[in-house]
Amino acid sequence: MQTSTQKYLGVKEWSASMRINHWTVAISIFALIVTGFYIADPFTISSGETVDKFFMGNVRFVHILFGAFLIFLSIQRLYLAFFSKFHADWRDFLAWTDLKAMIEQIKFYLLISEHPEKKYLYGPMQALAYTGCWAMVVVIIITGLILMGAGYHAGLTSVAFYVLKPIENLLGGLAVVRLIHHIFTWLFILFIIVHMYMAFWYDAVLKEGTISSMIGGRVFKKIKE
Amino acid sequence: MAKGNNAAYKKMIDKQYQDLMKRCQVHMEQIEKDLPEPKEDLHEILKDRGFSRRDFIKWTSVTTAALMLPPIFRPMVAKAAENFSRLPVVWLHFSECTGCSEAFLRSSYPNVDDILLDTISLEYHETLMAASGYQAEQNLEKAIHDFAGKFICVIEGALPRGLNGKYLTLGPKGKTGIEVAKEVTSKAAAVVCIGSCSAFGNIPAAKPNPTDAVGISKALGIKTVNIAGCPPNAVNFTGTVLHYLMFGSLPPLDSLGRPLWAYEKRIHDYCERRPHYDAGEFVEEWGDAGAKKGWCLYKVGCKGPYTYANCSKVRFNDGISWPVMAGHGCIGCTEPAFWDTMAPLEKPISDKTIGGGEKTVDTIGAVLTGAAAVGIAVHAAASAIRHKGKAQDSGSHNDDRMNTQEGKHD
Repeated sequence: MQTSTQKYLGVKEWSASMRINHWTVAISIFALIVTGFYIADPFTISSGETVDKFFMGNVRFVHILFGAFLIFLSIQRLYLAFFSKFHADWRDFLAWTDLKAMIEQIKFYLLISEHPEKKYLYGPMQALAYTGCWAMVVVIIITGLILMGAGYHAGLTSVAFYVLKPIENLLGGLAVVRLIHHIFTWLFILFIIVHMYMAFWYDAVLKEGTISSMIGGRVFKKIKE
Repeated sequence: MAKGNNAAYKKMIDKQYQDLMKRCQVHMEQIEKDLPEPKEDLHEILKDRGFSRRDFIKWTSVTTAALMLPPIFRPMVAKAAENFSRLPVVWLHFSECTGCSEAFLRSSYPNVDDILLDTISLEYHETLMAASGYQAEQNLEKAIHDFAGKFICVIEGALPRGLNGKYLTLGPKGKTGIEVAKEVTSKAAAVVCIGSCSAFGNIPAAKPNPTDAVGISKALGIKTVNIAGCPPNAVNFTGTVLHYLMFGSLPPLDSLGRPLWAYEKRIHDYCERRPHYDAGEFVEEWGDAGAKKGWCLYKVGCKGPYTYANCSKVRFNDGISWPVMAGHGCIGCTEPAFWDTMAPLEKPISDKTIGGGEKTVDTIGAVLTGAAAVGIAVHAAASAIRHKGKAQDSGSHNDDRMNTQEGKHD
């Protein structure tokens, strides 16, 4: 519908560090889900000699490697939320506390009303989902460190393991920790599906380049003539 | 640099062990003064059972290593074993199956550990004692009076707290289980919980737990040494008692009261099938080609990765075998509430049904993912109709915190 005379204003929304953090977290979570499902329900490699095979070992190595990435990336994201030179967005994560705006936003999602005025970087529902996502990250990191530390008896993980031991006992042992870790994997899958759809939907409805903003950093707003 | 440090380190360790040895010697002398003469001569018994002196020396080496002590402690372990029957023991039974006693008493190939347990100076043991009625009660009272603060109270079985604590009422005086437990443990030098029932509640405390049974330390609010297992390995009990005889104190415990020397590592960490796990070789079903080759039992429900115990190191029945070696996965019996948390016992944890139904996490997750996909499709279609042909006005953004860039022409 746009004519060639339509003018756009590029507005920077995401700093480079935010974008890099977003995509490295995305790659880590994807790798963790794939390797995690193999560890939960592995298939057998029947051919060849045992000495030549180390498939589960390698998968676990990749899983633990990306798990460590996720920990450091989460710490980086936490730092950016408070100390980003471009825009520290910790207040925006609390946009969901505005219940009136939340109702407006739900109406917009249900195609009842138009896009409400944005007060924060994130919409109220978006802020709620993102806060929930980071809470999920905290749970999956803690349960992951407990499971990892149980098998590694030296180094930093074993220290983390002894620090987290009371949590393991509180939850009821490694088997329960393992089940919680598995349940939260599915919560991540559900989050990713909804998150991706909402990004595409925003892109299609508002036509501001929501998807490309996480790569180029800018959204493009129409200039009213 | 490293060399100098090593020398200093070695000196420090040597000193530590020398101090420990001194403490051990002082305590052993004390024990020989304080406690009654050994009721039985261990070496006579071993000879009768067909164990040579050499077998006994070998056993002391193994036990010294298992207790994480250097070889200089071997004579002390031997001496402690000779003094084993000096230590007065009161053995109580609560809510359980007596399987732990049975396992210790009836092993078909007893090793020195089992024989040591046979020589134990049992002042009171409900299954084994000849006395009954008032006589039995007298024996118990005499034992806790004569050896107050010196005897070891061994407890088998959980304590049910339901019915206002009226469960397990027995004997001529009609004492409840909780009363007996309180009376005896308050006078004991140490309380050793044998088996997962007394340690954590185990099967009597499994859901729905109609008798409100719990482990001893939770029921009485006292610190206990928990020799977990269903049944536990005799080595773990004798080792703990030997430690007590040698040093006058209980061995270091983990946060659940289990001795660290036996329960610090998982079954999985020292499992002989572990290389098959790392290789990705799993038994898919009972009796398949993988099972014949001794592959990993993870997919038929082995709970070794979640279970802290030394079964894979010390094995059972004089080191002949243990569950995973015999071809069935670990069921996680040394862990609290294993009956609930480890189920299903012959399937991986990811096949656990949740919410009392027949749904696993994966089923629920897949259904929710499908529902999300359908919801998305419906919403996308509705959006396409609603926003069709409409140039959506993006609304008035007044984000003055954002760096406004130069206008860009499309």
